Amino acid sequence: MSVIKAENVQKTYNETKVPVHALNGVNLTIEKGEFTAIVGPSGCGKTTLLNILGGLDHPTEGRVEVADTNITDMSDGNLIDFRLQNIGFVFQAYNLIPVLTNKENIEFIMLLQKQDKKTRDDRAMELLNQMGIADKADQRPSELSGGQQQRVAVARALASKPKVILADEPTANLDSKSTATLLDIMAKMNAEENATFVFSTHDQRVIDKAKRIITLEDGVVISDVTR
Amino acid sequence: MIIKIAWKNIWRSRARSFVVIGSIVLGVWALLVATGFMNGFMVSYMADIINHDISNAQVHNPEFKKDFDITFYISNGAKKAAELRNWPEVKATTTRTIINGMIASPKKATGVQIRGIDIENEVKVTQLDSLIKEGTYFTGIKRNPIIIGSKLVEELKVKVRSKVVVTFTNSDGMITSGAFRIVGIVKSSSIKINELYAFVRQEDLAKISGIGNQVHEIGILTKPQVDEATIITKYEGLHKEDKIETWKEIAPELAFMQSMYSQMLYVLMVIIMSALVFGIINTMLMAVLERFRELGMLMAVGMNRIKVYLMILIETVFLGAVAAPLGLLIGWLTISYYSNTGVDLTNYSEGLESFGYSSILYPYLDDNVYVIVTISVFVTAIIGALYPAWKAVRLNPVEALHKL
Repeated sequence: MSVIKAENVQKTYNETKVPVHALNGVNLTIEKGEFTAIVGPSGCGKTTLLNILGGLDHPTEGRVEVADTNITDMSDGNLIDFRLQNIGFVFQAYNLIPVLTNKENIEFIMLLQKQDKKTRDDRAMELLNQMGIADKADQRPSELSGGQQQRVAVARALASKPKVILADEPTANLDSKSTATLLDIMAKMNAEENATFVFSTHDQRVIDKAKRIITLEDGVVISDVTR
Repeated sequence: MIIKIAWKNIWRSRARSFVVIGSIVLGVWALLVATGFMNGFMVSYMADIINHDISNAQVHNPEFKKDFDITFYISNGAKKAAELRNWPEVKATTTRTIINGMIASPKKATGVQIRGIDIENEVKVTQLDSLIKEGTYFTGIKRNPIIIGSKLVEELKVKVRSKVVVTFTNSDGMITSGAFRIVGIVKSSSIKINELYAFVRQEDLAKISGIGNQVHEIGILTKPQVDEATIITKYEGLHKEDKIETWKEIAPELAFMQSMYSQMLYVLMVIIMSALVFGIINTMLMAVLERFRELGMLMAVGMNRIKVYLMILIETVFLGAVAAPLGLLIGWLTISYYSNTGVDLTNYSEGLESFGYSSILYPYLDDNVYVIVTISVFVTAIIGALYPAWKAVRLNPVEALHKL
């Protein structure tokens, strides 16, 4: 069962005098429960592809389907609601809400989804336990290390059980130990909750852990390997 | 959660929030104090004139005020005044015989309005005795006592017990005069009382005016909270031959002044709140620009534009909610303190008195001013938040997330 389907996705930026073709006809399908890394050199279009797959940006050409919904021409307002219900994001810079506690950060998306308090509480504590930071529930993100903050970010992305979690360079700011811990946790969540993960990365440690590796170069898929 | 985040957000940059809160507090305080002081000037000025001169309403012969002809008196004036005294809306009434003429001292002569008063009822209506600054209220001098204002005293270069001569045209059209001795000197915010009026006993004036006990004016003091219009309607129904007017008709400049001062509150409010709006816009814009990436993240994960907009709006309203009560409290304390002790403006008394103002100012504010100011703070906060909030919702999440 495919979660993401991209057909001939192209993206051209016309902000400069010379148009920049970031994606030149990407075709790919991501199945439920995959643990996929999109890799390639800087500027190959990894982040652009992830933004388009996540409904944060529109393709210039082509078609994108997420959870059987065509999001290609969806309005920005509808895309926000769609992302809320279907997609989890993990960012390179964690991007947690600094004024909320770690538990509140995890609850945040469930709250936007109007889930009841008990469900939110239970799920947030369950995830905090799985991430190994239950004792940090009432602390603020600023009181955690980078690795721990990224674990909160992963928990936030997983909280509402989205169809897919898109992680843009999730380990770029982490040391080796934190990276290993985070990857173990994500692999565990992938196995236990059948959560679908798609990373954009050039971190070899992530690539080693991925079950499928899609390599981009100059905006096109040059290899797609499943292990 | 949005409310919680908004509340916590305002304390992220405490210094910046305190600057905005401080400016709102200062603005609210300044607005209340300025309005209180202006009201104080107006209320004391108007109260002086209404309580000591005009009263709430006056009755005249319809022809009298055209040229103050002595023969246009109120028929059965004393009887009508007595009848009015029994009305439940009326606190007191008095009658006056009014003749324009000249007053002369050995050194100088000037125009004057000679007011023959019922000395007992006059104090009930105008508390004329309370204005005596020198001498007495018609005691100590038996024959033809006269009370004049402090400015007239200076003009005539006279003092208590000095002799003055009043001259006027009597009911027969003949020039007549009478000698009076100054028994008291009055001082008031009313320029007329200070400079123009000369008060004599009605019976003394009757002897030389030739109109006997006839009166030209009935002054009416109503009970508190009584609408003067009810007295007017009632009196007009009973005595169509007379002209009865409220203080607003007698002194339209006072009514205009009252309305002008009320408008001043709004003028001041617009000026102060406009300045505050720019301060709020600046602060909230900084807050939005600083959190560009975070706002981008919120929109990326599914927080819709309405919620983002509301969050910025609520943050600003919270700033107002913290500042407004403080400003109101400090303003209220300031007004309360000075309304008891008064503000001594003696240094400027000469200038103030020439405009009819008292040199001790008692600031005063109606309760509704506090309500109006509170509403204006929140309206200002919302107006100040509109542009920053709009800026926040216009951001592109992709660009915002990659902003350094």
